Amino acid sequence: MDLDDCHNFDDFRILAKKKLPSPIFHYIDGGSDDEITLKRNTNSFNSCDLIPNVLNGVENPDLTTTIFGRKINMPLFLSPTAMQRLYHPDGDKASARAAEKFGTMYSMSTMANTSIEEISNISSGPKLFQLYVHKDKSITDDLVERCKRANFDGLCLTVDTIVAGNRERDHRTGFTTPPKLTFKSLVDFAVKPKWVFDYFTNKKFELSNVKNKTDKGTNITKSVIEYINEQYDPGMNWKDAEYIVKKWNGPFALKGIMSLEDVERAIDIGCTAVMISNHGGRQLDGSLSPFDQIKEISDKFGDKVEIILDGGIRRGTHVIKALAAGAKACSFGKGYLFSLSAGGQKGVEKMLQNMHNEIKRNMKLMGCKNLKELNSSKLAYR
Amino acid sequence: MRLKDCHNFYDFRKLAEKKLPSPIFHYIDGAADDEITYKRNTSAFNDVDLVPNVLRGVENVDLSTTIFGKKIDLPFYCAPTALQRLFHYDGERAVGKAAQKFNTMFGVSALATVSVEEISSMIDTPKMFQFYFHKDRGLNDSCLERAKAAKFDVMALTVDTITGGNRERDLRTGFTSPPKLTLSSLFSFAIKPMWGINYLTKGKFELPHLQDYVKEGTSTNTSIGNYFSTMLDQSMNWKDAEKLCSQWGGHFALKGVMSVEDAKKAVDIGCTGIMVSNHGGRQLDGSRSPFDQLSEIVDAVGDKIDVICEGGFQRGTHMLKALSIGAKACSGGRLYLYALAAAGQAGVERALGQYKAELERDMKLMGCTKISDLSRSNLRFRKNGS
Ligand SMILES: Cc1cc2nc3c(=O)[nH]c(=O)nc-3n(C[C@H](O)[C@H](O)[C@H](O)COP(=O)(O)O)c2cc1C
Ligand SMILES: Cc1cc2nc3c(=O)[nH]c(=O)nc-3n(C[C@H](O)[C@H](O)[C@H](O)COP(=O)(O)O)c2cc1C
Repeated sequence: MDLDDCHNFDDFRILAKKKLPSPIFHYIDGGSDDEITLKRNTNSFNSCDLIPNVLNGVENPDLTTTIFGRKINMPLFLSPTAMQRLYHPDGDKASARAAEKFGTMYSMSTMANTSIEEISNISSGPKLFQLYVHKDKSITDDLVERCKRANFDGLCLTVDTIVAGNRERDHRTGFTTPPKLTFKSLVDFAVKPKWVFDYFTNKKFELSNVKNKTDKGTNITKSVIEYINEQYDPGMNWKDAEYIVKKWNGPFALKGIMSLEDVERAIDIGCTAVMISNHGGRQLDGSLSPFDQIKEISDKFGDKVEIILDGGIRRGTHVIKALAAGAKACSFGKGYLFSLSAGGQKGVEKMLQNMHNEIKRNMKLMGCKNLKELNSSKLAYR
Repeated sequence: MRLKDCHNFYDFRKLAEKKLPSPIFHYIDGAADDEITYKRNTSAFNDVDLVPNVLRGVENVDLSTTIFGKKIDLPFYCAPTALQRLFHYDGERAVGKAAQKFNTMFGVSALATVSVEEISSMIDTPKMFQFYFHKDRGLNDSCLERAKAAKFDVMALTVDTITGGNRERDLRTGFTSPPKLTLSSLFSFAIKPMWGINYLTKGKFELPHLQDYVKEGTSTNTSIGNYFSTMLDQSMNWKDAEKLCSQWGGHFALKGVMSVEDAKKAVDIGCTGIMVSNHGGRQLDGSRSPFDQLSEIVDAVGDKIDVICEGGFQRGTHMLKALSIGAKACSGGRLYLYALAAAGQAGVERALGQYKAELERDMKLMGCTKISDLSRSNLRFRKNGS
């Protein structure tokens, strides 16, 4: 099996599973507790059907939309994800380059293995930086300053990770970063020698954006869970968020809000966007899926703030349903991470190409010439 | 397993799988993306239950209905499907003769492998020609004129294939038409030698309605998705449909209408019927099922034109449910295609006969003797839907 055989999300996932040591695969693939929310995020799209229109003369539908002040060429972009060097030696660089090629947004996690400056040097495409608030406030100020200097277009503050979710697969596989070779995990790594070779022959593994500020960024082998619980500030509140909005003074989103009430407060503190998300089912299991919640939020606040659906997207039709329900754009994590693991930049490009084709094809089958024509009259909830 | 072991849809499907090279089986059996819509097309029937009436004297059941001005003896018919000679060497000849035997409508695809002239000289029962709107206007005119000259009763313009659906099974099997023997597909053809022998000895494979106009007609191998995306005119709009409708001058339908808005427009441009259809789930995955959408459409235009529910039918009771909502007739592809692949004309006759027997039995159990006895009062929806 190689990239040519990857026609959809599941194919990339299978190829990624073949290539990655199992603790790393399960770190990407897993969710919290019983993974009910993880599954519902995608299944919720199936409780709603599309109603197409015909004979509309739709040779060339326009797929562009504008978020964080930048026009993007398709209504789907890359969510921020941690530690991409574990998935492929090119890590964030591969993702950023692929996103630029397709004219869509790349997002960088606070926990990236590539620095803000490195990415800004290789990509002039739309860029979003994802912020975690550390207990040490000077880390936040430093990150915001650097993003400004590096011309990032927007900032998002993740608010659903106040403590780490209970990712039971990681308990079982003993996933740590950087990977620690226990006897048990040794076997998992030994059966993927190519991954091990790439990992050790390429640049040193580090959390590039925070390495000067915390020794946890490099030296100590920590599980992500421990890192989150030790480093992030569980006391973070609306005042802290507002402080960052002001400091950044540009397009800004809260990532990981679900309630109408919180969307309203986000608007109040000056957010220009909200990312409706449960962190891909990795935090609060049993949490509502973004698609199940998106319509209510859009109906109420769609004209006041950019609404982004994050989580569960596997198909072009999922994006179309989210937009018809009122989202301005969608973002995905696992969707591009498996393709990154499967084939680096080429892999991500192939996945983006597939999604672009799917959105375009299905816009034609919907009889829609541009994304604005997608509205709730095209949806029938079961 | 043989024909006499086939008692229902699923048995025919199984036998077809045994007989056909796998790329061809999956071309019939597959659908778009994750095949969610394909599955829903059938499972939608299970969200509604039938409520029978008893003691009604139901010895004789009349299953006839009238669509497009023609009385047919069954409330269902054979939807137009492409490339039938790939499924069985008799192809459209087998399906046409079986439809005639039961006096029901026979739908002939623009991508048929037997010509309209031959079909019309072979059967005198109602016939529908399914039209694809090509970029090449000469080809369009020729199709229309030939179908007219061959005295077809209805023309159906397919409107849900403005671009090819994402049929991933075909991507994996490398399905093209005519079949191209790549190393990977060779194996699947080699283990079905009878199919191969028949394909090579029972007459050349042709697309008679296209071949004078395009090389895709016969000589080159092309995938169906590719044909849709490159040959059909994606700018097709309501004006074009209206023009075709008047150019045809007889009973005219749009095949693949799903929205109420479009159903009303179809009435406005002079259509006498529509097929509520998502092309058997082969185009837009995530699209609503015809049965789920049927009542809204019937309410809007059912008194003005013939509303046909198309896709997902695997049982007589499925048809009863659609007819109860107000469909004038039901139409299906796979309900006869597996039978065609399994055993040619005898297979299709056996399948049509079984649906007929099921319908007769179920009508009696419902306490109904004619199609017009069926109404929504026979139905209860499980969820809070209509
Ligand atoms: C392996 C992995 C790492 C992630 N790391 C981060 C992160 O560092 N910061 C963050 O805000 N979200 C992170 N996320 C969550 C994603 O941004 C996004 O919300 C989620 O993946 C969306 O769900 P999806 O995977 O179903 O598309 C991560 C997700 C995955 C799968
Ligand atoms: C193998 C196959 C070929 C088809 N070819 C055509 C075609 O050439 N033109 C067309 O309008 N519809 C075509 N269809 C769609 C059918 O007319 C019909 O809409 C569909 O089969 C209904 O779904 P069902 O198979 O569940 O009954 C095809 C369907 C199948 C399964």
